[in-house]
Amino acid sequence: MKKTGALLSVAVLLTGMLAGCGPVKKEGGSTAEATLKDGKYDPPITLTIAKQQDENAGKYINGESLNDNVLTRWGVEKLGIRIETTLLGGDAAQYNTKLRLALTGSEKLPDVLPVYDTSLENDLIQSGLVKDITEDINKYMPERLKEIYKEYPTAFNPVIQDGKVYGMPIAPNLTEGEVMLVRQDWLDNLGLKAPTTIDEFEQVIAAFTNDDPDGNGKQDTYGFDFSGKDSYNTGWVSDSVMIFSAYTGKHLPGQWYNEDGKLTYGSVADGTKDALAKLRDWYSKGYLNKELATQGAWDALADFTEGKAGIIIGRPWLYGSVKDVETNVQGAKISAYPTISGVSGDKTYQSGQQNDGVFMFNKDFNNMEAFFLYYDKLYDAAFGTGDFKYGYAQGYDYDIVNGEVVFDPKAFNTPLDAVQGVGKMAFTKNTPSVDGPGKSFYDLAQGVKADTGVLMRSAANDPTTSAGYVISYENRDVLLPNAFNGPPTKTMQTSWEQLNTMEKETFTKIIYSKEPLESYDTFVKQWYEKGGTQITEEVNEWYTNAGKVDVMTNMGLK
Amino acid sequence: MYHKSKGYKIFSFFNYICLILIALSCFLPMLHLLAQSLSSKSAINGNLVSFWPVDFNMDAYAKTFRNTNFTGSMQISVFRTVLGTLISMFVITTAGYALSKDFRGRNVLMWIFIFTMLFSGGLIPSYILVTKLGFKDTIWSLVLPGAFGAYNLILIMNFFKTIPKALEEAAFIDGASFFVIFRKIYLPLSLPGLATVGLFIMVGHWNAWFDGILYMSSTENYPLASFLQTVVVQGSAQSMALSQSEAAALSEQSIKAAQIFISTLPIILVYPFLQKYFVKGIVLGAVKE
Repeated sequence: MKKTGALLSVAVLLTGMLAGCGPVKKEGGSTAEATLKDGKYDPPITLTIAKQQDENAGKYINGESLNDNVLTRWGVEKLGIRIETTLLGGDAAQYNTKLRLALTGSEKLPDVLPVYDTSLENDLIQSGLVKDITEDINKYMPERLKEIYKEYPTAFNPVIQDGKVYGMPIAPNLTEGEVMLVRQDWLDNLGLKAPTTIDEFEQVIAAFTNDDPDGNGKQDTYGFDFSGKDSYNTGWVSDSVMIFSAYTGKHLPGQWYNEDGKLTYGSVADGTKDALAKLRDWYSKGYLNKELATQGAWDALADFTEGKAGIIIGRPWLYGSVKDVETNVQGAKISAYPTISGVSGDKTYQSGQQNDGVFMFNKDFNNMEAFFLYYDKLYDAAFGTGDFKYGYAQGYDYDIVNGEVVFDPKAFNTPLDAVQGVGKMAFTKNTPSVDGPGKSFYDLAQGVKADTGVLMRSAANDPTTSAGYVISYENRDVLLPNAFNGPPTKTMQTSWEQLNTMEKETFTKIIYSKEPLESYDTFVKQWYEKGGTQITEEVNEWYTNAGKVDVMTNMGLK
Repeated sequence: MYHKSKGYKIFSFFNYICLILIALSCFLPMLHLLAQSLSSKSAINGNLVSFWPVDFNMDAYAKTFRNTNFTGSMQISVFRTVLGTLISMFVITTAGYALSKDFRGRNVLMWIFIFTMLFSGGLIPSYILVTKLGFKDTIWSLVLPGAFGAYNLILIMNFFKTIPKALEEAAFIDGASFFVIFRKIYLPLSLPGLATVGLFIMVGHWNAWFDGILYMSSTENYPLASFLQTVVVQGSAQSMALSQSEAAALSEQSIKAAQIFISTLPIILVYPFLQKYFVKGIVLGAVKE
């Protein structure tokens, strides 16, 4: 009797657990009843969202929280839209894990899903849980946003399937380009000019290494500081891609380039070998960061900040992160310069990002109109119009002191660095911008009066950073988005990791002189044999398919 | 007098050297962290700090304690650790007591428990279970799923088995029930074992970060370890789209150091008080009658 009882309870327990794995229940989508009157929903409706939020972005002040803060309150008051975060992840990996778990159907998927990973984007489309929004974009996207989206048709590529669009890029806009930060005081000490060609670059870094630029009588400095740990094309800081591009032009390591309608992979392109030969020579002469293969992009900054290295490359804001050298070392001075030109006389290129992830939507979500209403308002800060003319909220990211708008954190009570970026209280990690790679800085340099929030904020930056942004804007034609931005292809799923490892190892060993330069040829041969040929085919097939149906017209973006 | 022999002296000399090196390898990183937490931002960025603070200041600590996210997470962690340890200790001791006796079906039950040690359902079933039970966003998602650990159960069970049966029989004769015996004889007599297992569970709760991140949909509900995870583990190559303000925050190494340092303190403070039991607990647990 006892045994039967035990068995029975186990059985009951099991059925209970199995029931949990049942089919996805239909929930949500009940928000359609509220009506839009004079740009406001009455009664207020709720949009649930997923969000990746970095702790480092600051904290909430005035006792506010994720779902109750100055921006969510603004949404309810002005638009009748309540934003509620129901899925939250800290860093990228955790966020992706949580999104995948949400796909198990154990809970309701949020209405709006910002997704930052192409393979996850594909999985979401395959799961059938996200919405085809081709029509919605056509119908509800406000005109000024359509103008922006029209300029970035390829940003839609990851979310197109069978001619349908399952998502839209988040705030498409080219990121700022990289500049070369050079120790100006070292140049001056040695009577040198900033390099503009690869030969001049070599002379400068040789002098920085051998001619004691800091005048302390010791040979304790070197020329060029970059990171090769994750990639020789980091795309943001401690980048070395300039040297590769000097020989390969638009074929950048780790990136696909569209050459006359055919996509090719940059790491196996002609000229890469010459670049590696150069780096190998420099490394053996001590011109380069000795630990370049073990230091991540962010860690590699330390040598420059310490005053050991003379040149580093990164986005213009990198100056803010390395300027401590001007405090640590007496007389240190950093200047921003454009990257050098290549051996053919052309500019050197770098990878540009045209959007940061995509928005996807729960297939039961039927209030795209509300989403676009809200999304369009967020753009007010970028355009300098409406409620967000100067910033998102007075007392948070700007303040008005004696009738004047100020951005200086010291000028008002709330220290800016402590505040959770107000715009980030909305949907995404980053706030929409239409500034391009630093247009506001360029305009200011041209003498435009700072009368919008965007311009004023730019004007509040230090001269070196501003100079960097101006350079970045003037050279924005060097920014190349990766031509392949789809989900991993079939062969990629099985062998891309291996190919990548092989690539990284070969490059590093050649630079470190642990293998002869000729092993690059072996690498190229093996790359093609071990899946590269197949992958190139698949990538091109994807590219042809992505452009087959004219989705831009279907979305009304043409 | 074996310890006077030459061989023993040489052995103990190297033994001490080894132990000192091991101790240093544990202690120096902490010292480095402490030095960083007391140094200025520019000195850290320039790699100037080793084991002694440069430009001594307490800003990082002031900022950390003014950060409500940090202090809130700290409270949650303390609460979670206390509650989680109590719950775990309750289920493990009661189960351990019962299983230390002989009764029908004991082996089947034991086998079921051991089974969980070897195989687990994995992430997805656990997640579905916890969300369907409605534990998401509550403290229960942190303390209940791992409350019953088979390994700890075996430790406690073996400890109970070492207590002489005669004691129990004498108590029976005096009219004590099972519960009275459990409470008045078994628990007091096995304090070392309880302290040992309790410490395991406590440290486990204090350091667990993944469940917090998994089951909480608001950062205010993160326990301290989850909070630190999101703060410290960052700046990877994937952060390409980093904005200016975030990039600046990334380099606040002194604050990270202060937060890590503060977060390790409570468990370090608890340890000495439990250590005397700890040594005894392990030794006694190994003795068979």
